[in-house]
Amino acid sequence: MRRQLPILIVFVSGVFMIIQYFIPHESFEFIYEYAMDWIIIIGIFAMLLGLWSLTRVSVSKVQTKAPGWGFSVMTLIGLATMLFLGIYKGNKSIAEGTLFMDIFWNIYTPIQATMFALLAFYIASAAYRAFRARTVMSTILLVTALVIMLRLIPLGPLSGINQTLASWILTVPNMAAKRAIWIGIGLGATATCLKIIFGIERAYMGKD
Amino acid sequence: MRYKNLRSSLVLTFFLFFLILPLSQILAQDDTLPPPPPTEVKAGDTPNDNGHSITITWKLSGDDGAGKKNVVAYEILRSESPTGEFVVRGMVPAGNNTYQDRGAKEKEDKNYFPPHKDFYYKVRAKTLNSYSESGVAGPAVAYGQWFHIGKLPVFVGTLAFTIMVLAFISLARKGKEFYVRPLAGIDAVDDAIGRATEMGRPILYILGLGSAADIATIASFTILNRIAKKTAEHKTKIIVPCNDPIVMSVAQETVKAGYLDAGRPDMYKEENIFYLTSMQFAYVAAVNGIMLREKTATNFYLGKFYAESLILAETGSVAGSIQISGTDELAQIPFFVAATDFTLIGEELYAASAYLGREPLLLGALKAQDLAKAIVMLSLALGALAASFHFGFFLKLFTVQM
Amino acid sequence: METIGIWIAALLTLGIFSFLYKDNPFYKFCESLFVGISAGYWFVTTFWQVFMPKLADNLVAGRFYYMIGAIFGVLMLLRLFPKIGWLSRWSLALVVGTTAGLYFTRYLVSNGMVQVQNTIIPLYVKGNLSQTIGNLVIVIGTFSGLIYFFFSKEHKGAFGGLAKLGIWILMLSFGASFGYTVMSRMSLLIGRMDYLLGTWLGLIH
Repeated sequence: MRRQLPILIVFVSGVFMIIQYFIPHESFEFIYEYAMDWIIIIGIFAMLLGLWSLTRVSVSKVQTKAPGWGFSVMTLIGLATMLFLGIYKGNKSIAEGTLFMDIFWNIYTPIQATMFALLAFYIASAAYRAFRARTVMSTILLVTALVIMLRLIPLGPLSGINQTLASWILTVPNMAAKRAIWIGIGLGATATCLKIIFGIERAYMGKD
Repeated sequence: MRYKNLRSSLVLTFFLFFLILPLSQILAQDDTLPPPPPTEVKAGDTPNDNGHSITITWKLSGDDGAGKKNVVAYEILRSESPTGEFVVRGMVPAGNNTYQDRGAKEKEDKNYFPPHKDFYYKVRAKTLNSYSESGVAGPAVAYGQWFHIGKLPVFVGTLAFTIMVLAFISLARKGKEFYVRPLAGIDAVDDAIGRATEMGRPILYILGLGSAADIATIASFTILNRIAKKTAEHKTKIIVPCNDPIVMSVAQETVKAGYLDAGRPDMYKEENIFYLTSMQFAYVAAVNGIMLREKTATNFYLGKFYAESLILAETGSVAGSIQISGTDELAQIPFFVAATDFTLIGEELYAASAYLGREPLLLGALKAQDLAKAIVMLSLALGALAASFHFGFFLKLFTVQM
Repeated sequence: METIGIWIAALLTLGIFSFLYKDNPFYKFCESLFVGISAGYWFVTTFWQVFMPKLADNLVAGRFYYMIGAIFGVLMLLRLFPKIGWLSRWSLALVVGTTAGLYFTRYLVSNGMVQVQNTIIPLYVKGNLSQTIGNLVIVIGTFSGLIYFFFSKEHKGAFGGLAKLGIWILMLSFGASFGYTVMSRMSLLIGRMDYLLGTWLGLIH
């Protein structure tokens, strides 16, 4: 019963969602919209589970004085501060000009932008290591990457040829490869959906 | 001589003035004359919809694109009776001969469009200064359809694919063995786990940044279950930091099930599968820290990834970890290919669960995928040949109307 | 106040960049603060911008069907109690089943049928050699890419040859994506350097 009922819920909800795709009648449309909203609401309640997990792990590190426990204190302070500042004035707490948003703009946003900027370094180091691999595959990858990168740089008499080649690569073989991957993903994902609906794939359900 | 030329010019000017003036008046008067009205106005239920729309079609006015070419737009008017007050419902530019009168489905919405109710329509052809109206068309009634005819190819595809999957699963249940070719990324999993065991270092498993609703994440859960079972057998620690609370819940269930399957439930530690944050780069910053501080020997990146994929892969590389990745995000596959040791590209991620468990039912479903792929390849080849000879039949088979 | 904000942002930027050298307490501080603040920010904004309109406002307006979603949400929270935690599987089942059914048709149409539809193109276009070559490359490239993803047959002989052509075309595409992204990543770095050297230190204008 503990496992059978969830599998039945999966089957019924999955089959319903497939059937409603073909039925434009509004009675099915209503249920579809409700189902989508219910999933969002479940996700919102699950946020509390997430906060509980983060708090528990951090508090545990502080209590056991695990290595780096001081940084867990920082995590808890940051979390508690944002939760307090974001709720104490009701929905006005998150308006522009509040301390909540000041922290967002002056602490969160710069760190996020810098993490994103790290990609500039990592993309160079990834290219270097791929080049060192010296296989046919990595050579094709890097030569193509070079042609595409150079399309934006003036190369004198070679500019025209490079740009034409880059444009052709982006519109023709690139499109062919993407289609092959998309079709494969389409078939694989569709099969996975069927496996889930029919209860063949049920690892996510766990065991007792 | 000069006088003669001046006189001639004056006469010509007077003559032209009295000729052009009435002509201009005639031309100006023409634009105030109404154009020929639209004809053959038909109103009927919009097909394949939810029952809150009526489609009106008409034949263009004689002065639209022909004749005086002064029609600028058409107005569509509606009434609840043929002799009642007609209200403008919409307008389309000249050259168009169809309009969909639609509204909201909620009764409390001010734009509510009631189904199962008679409506009458007229179409008005407008010039800049005048207009003319068609006769009344109707009654037209809107009602919802129970099947979308335009989606028939999808319906056939759904049935065909489902039958294929069920047929192969049925064969698998009867004991038929299926061959699948080796996949480098899957073959490396055992070695990667063994490496972690020998080095006494943990394994890191990243489910990606998708939610539990993403199919790639669900595929990753199944792989996590298999890997958790292997790590339990090897008594190796597995760390699963999560980006989504529901994913964390499912991951906990999955890993626990893996440990149960391995007969080591006592080794399961829930604190190793935890939630960090749902914000992309904050999650990555924390995972980077885990990689370097825990000195993970093996990293798995399997699921939905975005721009952070390269940061994870490069940090793992700096930490000296063996890295196996897999995603269906096309934009991130190149970075995983460049930066990790083994990559499962797109469909290979979905196939991985069948490879790792070697369960007959999963292998059967994989075979159905391959059969569908073979049909697609045949359709492509035949379709391209047919298109070369201008036969549109194949194209129609795959055309879906929304 | 703005100056303090700029200094904080600049120091945190340097803290994250320090990770490129190696893991250090400065980076750890930035990371832990980032995680805590982001989790709090995400919870608060989701609460006010999603939870309140989706659930609270709908229930107040009398749309009681939303109670079903709330009940499943509460079941999810029962995970915190080991004895009755198994009830949360009902919520998981609803989420997984609904989205499996939704994505089934989505993937079949947009990844399957639409892609096949777009690849049914003529192999020969009269009077247009470049389009003919382009169409041939697209059809053969897609075909050989699909051959590469075929799991039932080993890559040997002629089949293996086609699969090899497939993986080469895939690598070509990956290289194109790689090269295409480099400039945008560089512009992100330029943005941060501009902030540090311009906005913070005032060395560039």
